[in-house]
Amino acid sequence: MERKLFVALVSEDPAFAVNLKKTIIESLDFVQINYFDSDLTFFSAYPDTKTNLILSDQRNNSYSWKVFLEETLKLDAYSLIIFIVEDRERGKSVDMIKSGAYDVITPASITRIQPLLHKVIRDIEDKANLRYLSDEKNFGDHIANNSRSMLSIINREYVYEKVNATFCNTQSIKIESIIGKPLSEIWGKETFEKKIKENIDLCFLGNTVRYEANFNTPLFGNRFFEVVFRPITKDSGDITHLLAETFDITDLRLSQQVVNDMEEEFKKLETNLPIGFLRCDTSGTIIHANRAFLKIMECEDETSLTGLGIYEFYAEKGLFEIHLSQLLNTQIKTFGRVPLFTCHGNEIACRISGFIVTNESGNPSYIDFAFEDSSRELMLENRLLQAQKLETIGALAGGLAHDFNNILATIYGYSEMLLEEIPKSTSSAEKVGRIIAAITKAKSLTDQILTFSRQVDQEKIPVSVADVLNETIGFVKSGKPENIDIKDDIPVTDVHIHADPTQLFRVFLNLMTNAIQSMDEKGGTVFVKLAIVDGNLVRHDLNKNIVADDYALVTIEDTGEGMDPSLIHRIFEPYFTTREIGKGTGLGLSVVHGIIAELDGEILVSSKKNKGSVFSVYLPVSSEYHNIEELKEGGKKLLFISGNRHESRILSLALERSGSTLVFASDLNQLIKLISETDTKPDLIIYMDDSKEILPQELIDIYSTKKISIPIIMISDRNQLKSAEKLVNSGIVKQQLTKPVSLKEIHNAIQISLK
Amino acid sequence: MAGILIVEDDRDLREMLKTSLLKMKYTVIEATNGKEALLHFKPGITDMVITDLIMPDEDGLKVIMKIKEIKPSTKIIAISGGGKAGPGNYLSLASALGADEVFSKPFSIHDLLKKIDELLNLEQPD
Repeated sequence: MERKLFVALVSEDPAFAVNLKKTIIESLDFVQINYFDSDLTFFSAYPDTKTNLILSDQRNNSYSWKVFLEETLKLDAYSLIIFIVEDRERGKSVDMIKSGAYDVITPASITRIQPLLHKVIRDIEDKANLRYLSDEKNFGDHIANNSRSMLSIINREYVYEKVNATFCNTQSIKIESIIGKPLSEIWGKETFEKKIKENIDLCFLGNTVRYEANFNTPLFGNRFFEVVFRPITKDSGDITHLLAETFDITDLRLSQQVVNDMEEEFKKLETNLPIGFLRCDTSGTIIHANRAFLKIMECEDETSLTGLGIYEFYAEKGLFEIHLSQLLNTQIKTFGRVPLFTCHGNEIACRISGFIVTNESGNPSYIDFAFEDSSRELMLENRLLQAQKLETIGALAGGLAHDFNNILATIYGYSEMLLEEIPKSTSSAEKVGRIIAAITKAKSLTDQILTFSRQVDQEKIPVSVADVLNETIGFVKSGKPENIDIKDDIPVTDVHIHADPTQLFRVFLNLMTNAIQSMDEKGGTVFVKLAIVDGNLVRHDLNKNIVADDYALVTIEDTGEGMDPSLIHRIFEPYFTTREIGKGTGLGLSVVHGIIAELDGEILVSSKKNKGSVFSVYLPVSSEYHNIEELKEGGKKLLFISGNRHESRILSLALERSGSTLVFASDLNQLIKLISETDTKPDLIIYMDDSKEILPQELIDIYSTKKISIPIIMISDRNQLKSAEKLVNSGIVKQQLTKPVSLKEIHNAIQISLK
Repeated sequence: MAGILIVEDDRDLREMLKTSLLKMKYTVIEATNGKEALLHFKPGITDMVITDLIMPDEDGLKVIMKIKEIKPSTKIIAISGGGKAGPGNYLSLASALGADEVFSKPFSIHDLLKKIDELLNLEQPD
């Protein structure tokens, strides 16, 4: 197709223009002229899409040729301009062409216009190509150099032929030092051989190769790259070069690594967390459970939970539905002490916290639950409550028994006098005899009450637990029914505790008799065992603030009818009995409790209905007292401050044997008196933060006003660390221990503090 | 006849003790608490003190200590019905402080009279 040449003729000489137009149109049909009567009108229209050539008549022109040329080229750098000048101005033509004009003609040489236009149309075609190509190249270079990837062209000799700016920047080397260099030189021989060469070879076989590897770059050190080799295939089908694209994916990799690590960490945490974790769908069907949940709920493995609903663990029907609706309302909620059944059917209580997990549109997609077993907490609370209850009953009953003994003594005395005054063998004498017999019974009762309320003195001496046990077993065996078997396992014979042997006998006798009575009709076996246990290992089972280092553990187990779990915690209350009225006084176990408490021991019970009961008696081993004897805080005065005098018993026994004295202060005045006087001033104060009479702040005040520097060992409750914090922060506390503490811990603390 | 000081805050019990002691021809002086006991204690005529241990005001242990200070040869019998004030071992403390005999309530008046007789008929060291 013939190409059209659009010519813009700019001349202020219309006659000339018409003439020229005629000349051109008549002779050349591919030319089309567009006439502008001034430079200004031309500039207002230029550049348009059509104009290929500008004929600018410089005769009588208002602008100088230079301005015209500059302005036109500014508007389009590829403009072709032919100037028409007066013959006498021909001298300017060299300057004009130098400055960028395509050609210069004069009216005299106007006939030259025809061959010139032929040339123009050829040139325009060339120029258009050039312009196109050049645009393309600019474009390509721009893309290549601004790409975030390293781009390069590699030939079959593994040599770089071209690289982009990113390549140079990333490698921080100049383009001249890459072009023409083999890859082995740029990347190092080893990296090239191991990570590059093979893939390039594969690419030259016609494959696009994509892989990830880490490379060492001089600027950034070790980084991850994704590399793509694309073969550049010529029309002939030969592959002489390949295009290498290298993306730096280090950050991506690192963030992926972080995400993976976090996920891994979370998994670990979730698995090992002591809190049960459960993910359910929005109806409460279990999707996932962690290890702690399985443990709390006594389930075999996660698969056994598949498809189960969380509500199936709820002991109260309908309660889960209530929880669910509350949860859906509030998104997050904690439910305290929810009664649950484990997989084994045991009843426990858990604190359950629920969180609604929503999807992007805000609708619930999962519910996550955290389960904390509060059975132990509940058990300890109950036990504490029970201990307080027994203490209160004990104080009341003890006081009552004391007064009652006064009355009994009066009755007893007069009865005896009466018996003397009336003739023997009369019916009156017999009646008085019966009064005295009744008084004896009453005395035994008040004795028991006083023992329970810990108001009877026990003559404590080192006693072999095994000896007393064996003696009791022998006694029980002689009178037991035939259908009852007694089996014992008493391997340790040299365990000594500090006790009244008669009272200890009473404890064992009572427990064994109870065991036998619980199996009365059906018969069965009583197992009696003795073992030594490490106080540290059982410290959390015992309801003690100070634990001895070792305990003699006597267990008396029966195969009898067992007890209702709800009754177990009441069995030590006086006159509480699970037996029919008339069997036993109902004081037996409360007396046992009183004796054991007086020995700083503890009695624990577990029982299963129709399976039997186990009574575990923990008695502090007195050899521990001897251990302390060997230690060297002898002759020191220690002051013990506690809300509970009983706490000090184990401690004082242990310390006094070492030759140190333990003084007890229960109120502020006593304390001030003790620490102000030289004879009584202690070397060390042991402060237990349950003291209500002497508060941490008061201790701090006394220390600062009286300028006292006696070291303090503080024994504080795990839950009340905050109130104790003040005292620790004040700097007067040398050592801080958390309940329950062992004698060893206290001892170590004493040694350090007295140094 | 020997003089016996009874220290007991329970009126009925005190009366009973008095009755039985008078019957045995002892001279009896009564006190209802430790303070009174020390007021009524006359070293010249009081050979024996029978004291309860837990009483209002000065308790029995103090009575024992003070009397053993004033006249160490005074015989002392302590009686107690189980401590109201915690696990303190009152009766054994009483022995430790110098009580010659201890009884816990309720006791047999026969046993008590027998013991009184025994103690008072012991040869006095001085």
